[in-house]
Amino acid sequence: MGAAGRSPTAAGGLTGMPSDIARRPGPVTSRYIAPGTSFERVAQDVAAIAFGHPGWRRWWVSFAAALALVGMLAILLLVLFWQGVGIWGNNIPVTWALDIVGYDWWLGVACGALLTSALLLLLGQEWRSAVNRLAETVALLAACAGAIYPIIHLGRPWFFYWNLPYPNWLLLWPQFRSPLFWDAVDILSFLTVALAFWYVGMLPDLATLRDRAAEQVRAGAGGSLLRARLYGIAALGWRGAAVHWQRWTRAYRILALLGVVVVLALQSGAAVMFAGTVEPGWHDTMQPVTFLAAALFAGVGVVAALVVVMRALFALHALITARHLDILARLLLALGLFNLYCGIVEFFMAGIAGDHYERAAMQRRVSGPHAWAFWVVILCALLPVHLFWIRRLRRAPALLCVIGLLVAIGMWADHFMVIVDTLQHDFLPSSDRPYAVDAWAAATFAGSVGLFFALLLLALRYLPVISILETRHLARIADVPSRRGPPPVAGGPAPLWGVAAEFRSAAAMTAALVALRARGMRRLDAFMPLPVPEVAPAMGLRRAPMAGIAVAGVAFGAVLMFGGATYATVFDYVFDIGGRPRFSWPSFVIPATAFATLTGAVAIALALLVLNRLPRLNHPAFNIPGFGSATQDRFFVVVEARAEGFDAAAAEQALAALADPPLSIARVPR
Amino acid sequence: MEQLFKPGADAIFRLVLFIVIFSAAAALAVAAALSGSAFVTGTTIAARQPVPFSHKHHAGELGIDCRYCHTTVETEATAGLPPTYTCMTCHSQIWTGSPMLAPVRDSLARNQPLHWTRLNRLPDYVYFDHAIHIAKGIGCSSCHGQVQEMQLTYAVQSFTMGFCLDCHRAPQNNIRPQDEIFDMAWTPPADQAERGRALLAHYHIRPPAELTDCSICHR
Repeated sequence: MGAAGRSPTAAGGLTGMPSDIARRPGPVTSRYIAPGTSFERVAQDVAAIAFGHPGWRRWWVSFAAALALVGMLAILLLVLFWQGVGIWGNNIPVTWALDIVGYDWWLGVACGALLTSALLLLLGQEWRSAVNRLAETVALLAACAGAIYPIIHLGRPWFFYWNLPYPNWLLLWPQFRSPLFWDAVDILSFLTVALAFWYVGMLPDLATLRDRAAEQVRAGAGGSLLRARLYGIAALGWRGAAVHWQRWTRAYRILALLGVVVVLALQSGAAVMFAGTVEPGWHDTMQPVTFLAAALFAGVGVVAALVVVMRALFALHALITARHLDILARLLLALGLFNLYCGIVEFFMAGIAGDHYERAAMQRRVSGPHAWAFWVVILCALLPVHLFWIRRLRRAPALLCVIGLLVAIGMWADHFMVIVDTLQHDFLPSSDRPYAVDAWAAATFAGSVGLFFALLLLALRYLPVISILETRHLARIADVPSRRGPPPVAGGPAPLWGVAAEFRSAAAMTAALVALRARGMRRLDAFMPLPVPEVAPAMGLRRAPMAGIAVAGVAFGAVLMFGGATYATVFDYVFDIGGRPRFSWPSFVIPATAFATLTGAVAIALALLVLNRLPRLNHPAFNIPGFGSATQDRFFVVVEARAEGFDAAAAEQALAALADPPLSIARVPR
Repeated sequence: MEQLFKPGADAIFRLVLFIVIFSAAAALAVAAALSGSAFVTGTTIAARQPVPFSHKHHAGELGIDCRYCHTTVETEATAGLPPTYTCMTCHSQIWTGSPMLAPVRDSLARNQPLHWTRLNRLPDYVYFDHAIHIAKGIGCSSCHGQVQEMQLTYAVQSFTMGFCLDCHRAPQNNIRPQDEIFDMAWTPPADQAERGRALLAHYHIRPPAELTDCSICHR
């Protein structure tokens, strides 16, 4: 890198330099990260984890342990498929035991983590930079770990696809009124939206890693070109162009919104699966709220614990500060109070409703054969968070990690309590039958934990564990002394793609764009390491049509699922199911909502790629000298040669004559 | 900065993406096509039988009635396979020395039935009754095809649930008058829609919503 007149700077050597506030977008270094942290430092710190792999011995030990659990899961699944779900000890009346507990808990963690990241983005909380990548990764991987359950708990798992609507020789449709069908759609939609949100959010960071890896190789500092190329393929040729950012910013926010919707659909669907029965302890309109509260609690608990571990392992104290931990602790406290409220309401309602079975179910939770679960909920999840009333304890990393894990355990016990205590004893004394946790079922859950950690460790090993882009919004650009005299002009072989200029700040770049446009120059492009809102008006870019595309995608999915369910149930195959109306529209709303988020997310992700003409691995922009720093702390403006009346010399003169002249100017070959 | 990728890399990358997506879609299409094909269902393939019995000769050319051999088709759930004695009503008199018929004579001598290979098979969880179908105007050829044309016998239907439902949803398309049930060459007349409706009333056939109840077949 660094051909055209800028000196390479050492990592971390920029703090304490005079600041360049007037020339950089956004505020001074935010109070959330270590003071003076520069763009370069952020990228280098995060890249160092992916490239340098600190703590590799611990990583290998953890990864081997996780893989051992995955191996155990594989063997266990073979036995399960051979013998059937009876090995889990599930039997009438406790037909849903650890499998559904595990599924609901994993999906709770996933939903809580996704909702945290998405809501913080939509609410404009800048501190999310510390947790958003990890939260999104946890959301995706917890959903993967949980997604094995709906398949393996079937009697004939190889027919799992029978739950999906597809043309078949039976001329049958799945039962669209059933929460079991909603679940299949919800989980597919969740996985799609979570994947799109995670990957789209990570694209600019992958491009940053690509350029850092390439710089390392070219500076002879180790690493292989293959690594740079692999990150390059993963980044799909992202080059931070003005239009890229314009569309990306909107796409990312829309995906966050879809994430919120799919979480609400999934948790409501899962809750209605319980509330829709007449079982005591389940038959309650409060259920969707309780489920969401428990999901958020578990999700934030797991994310908080993992953030602390990651911060300690990778020494990320500059990027994840005590202030972040403080906020996570407050969030846990608030969610703890929310869950406490839900629990109290449940007992209160059972108390005043006067239904004996309901009261008996509540009594069984407290003093029945599985009362341990109730006390685990109280002692692990609901009580310990109250330590966080004390400011000093909120900033103690080890305590946050322990309480985060305790909350996760407590929420697992909560699902166990709700499911097993109700099922074991409903209305008929004759159908009461004891249930005990079975070793096979516990081992299956342990296997799913292993699967989660194996995938998580791979993500921590190879991907940017902290959002570089989000952290840039909090950091500052290192100052570069302004150049005396005209900037150096580098020639390039014909045919020309354009004339490029490198700027040290977003303000200088924006001013250059305005000045060039005022001179009647067209076919301008700009490249930058983070979205700069002023660029679109300066370049005269039209509004990105992302919202329209999202609405079209969402409408397509909603109409397709709702219309399909209506056609199948009302016209194509009419069955009488317990006297329910043929057009059971309320039950079609949930899968239609979830499916709409799926098609919306796919539409947005595809639109982002197609409109930006990505993937594009080879592009003339990469010929600009020092272009790698466009993903670090430099801003580029290009006058493309295909512009009408293009004159390279005139463009160079115009650039050199700017009030805040560029650091360098180069003719860029095609 | 140098390019990390040569200009051709984009073409290759996009080609790979296309191949991956296309293969996934093609795999689904092939699986769907294969699952209904004769290769999987075994329809239209004549299985190996102990005796190369020809329905074309016996039912078509000689005109022997179906019920001469499949005796219980009007009264029981299964149509019935003939015992060796039925074969011997004629073959004790004609073709008595034919080597092709040796297994039949052997079966009689040892008092052991012939082991025919079954062609039309329904899953155990399906309740099917020949008698009611015959009684309510469904002819043999509607399910078994033009058996009188088959030199060696094969199944023409794989009896998927979709096949059964097609008729249970719209029985008027296939229902026949009583005297045409054993007409193996029957094709629906031009005014079948009209006749079908009259026959539904004649046979007192229940409406499709009832005929497609799960418990009609899965008891």
